[in-house]
Amino acid sequence: MNLVKRILNGIYNLLLGMWTTVKYLFSHAITLQYPDQRWTMPQRSRGVVVLMTDPETGKLKCIACAMCVRTCPTAAITMISEKDETGKKLRYPKEFEVDQGICIFCGLCEEVCPVKEKAIKLVNLYEFSVYTKKELIYDMEKLTQIGKGFK
Amino acid sequence: MLELERLFKAVYLWLERIFNSLGIPHFWFDLFTMLLVALIVLGVMSFAAMFLVWWERKISAHFQQRFGPMRTGWHGWFQLPADGIKLILKEDTTPATADKPVFLIAPIVIFVASFLAFVCLPFGKGLIVRDLNIGILYILSVTTFTVVSILMAGWGSNNKYSVLGGFRSAAQIISYEVPLTLSVLGVVLLTQSLSMVKIVSAQEHVWSWNIWKQPLGFLIYLTAAVAEVNRTPFDIPEAEQELVAGYNIEYSGMKWAMFFFAEYTNLVLVCGVAATLFLGGWNGPILPSWIWFLVIWVVMWFRWTFPRVRVDQLMAFGWKFLLPLAFLNLILTGLLA
Repeated sequence: MNLVKRILNGIYNLLLGMWTTVKYLFSHAITLQYPDQRWTMPQRSRGVVVLMTDPETGKLKCIACAMCVRTCPTAAITMISEKDETGKKLRYPKEFEVDQGICIFCGLCEEVCPVKEKAIKLVNLYEFSVYTKKELIYDMEKLTQIGKGFK
Repeated sequence: MLELERLFKAVYLWLERIFNSLGIPHFWFDLFTMLLVALIVLGVMSFAAMFLVWWERKISAHFQQRFGPMRTGWHGWFQLPADGIKLILKEDTTPATADKPVFLIAPIVIFVASFLAFVCLPFGKGLIVRDLNIGILYILSVTTFTVVSILMAGWGSNNKYSVLGGFRSAAQIISYEVPLTLSVLGVVLLTQSLSMVKIVSAQEHVWSWNIWKQPLGFLIYLTAAVAEVNRTPFDIPEAEQELVAGYNIEYSGMKWAMFFFAEYTNLVLVCGVAATLFLGGWNGPILPSWIWFLVIWVVMWFRWTFPRVRVDQLMAFGWKFLLPLAFLNLILTGLLA
C-alpha cells in the first residue's frame, strides 16, 4: 500500500513539474536583445563622469574649487586651475582629467560639488569600453563634449 | 492526408519506363531505385535531425524564458548549417595512442545503425522502404549496434575516461533495452504480427490506437526509450554539468558531429517507433506522422523539466522497477488479449 502511495505521489510530482515548465514555455521570454533593445537606465544610475556646461553662457560650470579632486577616493581626477583674467577672484579649470579606468563610480565628486545643479556629474552612460587604458583618461574637451548630451 | 504514395509510385513507373526504353537490364534499375530511396531517407533523416537541433535549442530557451539563437536568419534558423560548416572546418584530431581504425569506424557505425533502422519505419501510407515481416524485431536488433559503436568509441580512444564512459553508456543502454523490448512485445501480442505496416493498419481509428489498450506499455516504452537515446533524466553518458563527456571525449570536428547527429536521428527513430506502435502511425488525424513530432516534443519537455538521476538510481529503477512492471504488463496483455 505504501509503495502504491509512493508511486502515485511520484507521478503527481512529475506532472506538477511538467506543468510548471510548460507554463514557462508559453510565457514571454524576458531576455533583452541587447544591441537592438536597451535598458532604460534608472535616473540616479552612475556611469561615466562628465563636466557640465552652463546652457546660457556655454561655459563650464566648474569654479575650480578642487573639492572633487580632494574627495576622490581613488584619485581619478586631476586638475590644474587658473585665475580668471578679469581680475575678479574667480578661477577656472585649465586642465581637467578623469581617469575612468581608476574611477569607482562612487559619486562623491558629484555630491561634494558646491556649484548649483552640479558642475561634475555621473551620467547614465555605461558603454565606454575602449582598446587601451590610455583612451580611458578623458581630457577636459572630451568630458565637456559628453556632458553636453546630458542635462 | 497528403497522397505522397501516389507520387512516388508514379515516379517509380516513369523511371521504369525510361530504363526499359533504353534497354538497360532490370538489375541496374533496381540498384538505381534502391540508391535513390536510400538518398531520400538519408535526406529526410538529416533534415529532421537538423531541424530538431534547432527546435531543441529554441524549446529549451523558451522553457527558461530565453530566446535561444536569434542572430542567424529568422529566429536563428540558419544556426545549424552555420554550426555544421564550423564543425567541418574544424581540426579533426586523433589521439596519438588511439586505436586508429576502431576510432575512425565508431562514428560511422553509430550513424549506420540508426540509418539502417529507418528501413522498416513507415513514414506514411505506403511510404516504407521495405515492409519486412519481422519489422519491429529488425529495428530493435539493428539499433543495438549503437552499444557496439559506443564501446568502440570508448575503447578506441585509448583514454581511461572514455573507456569508463563507454562502459557506463553500454550498461545503461543494455539495461533499458530489456524493458523496451518487453513493452514492445505487448503490442506485438495484440496485433499478432511483427510487421510495422500490419501494426499500423490494426489501429485504423483513433479509438483503436494501441495506447488505449497498452497505457502502461506506452509509459514503459517512453521511459526506456528516453534512457535508450541518452536524454535527461537518463543522460548519464553525457552529463554535461558533472562530467566532461563520456565515450566521445576524444572526438572532435566532424567525427564528434556524427555522434551528435546520430543522437538526434535516434531520437527521431525512437519517437517514430513510439508513434507507429502506440499512436496509430500514419493514421494520425490531419497529416500523417505529425504525431512523431508531438512525441519528440514531449521527450524534449522531459529533458527540460526533470533533474538527472544518479547511476545507482538509474540501474535500480531499470532492473527493480521497470523490468518487473514490463513483465507484469506482458502477462496482463497475454491474459486479456
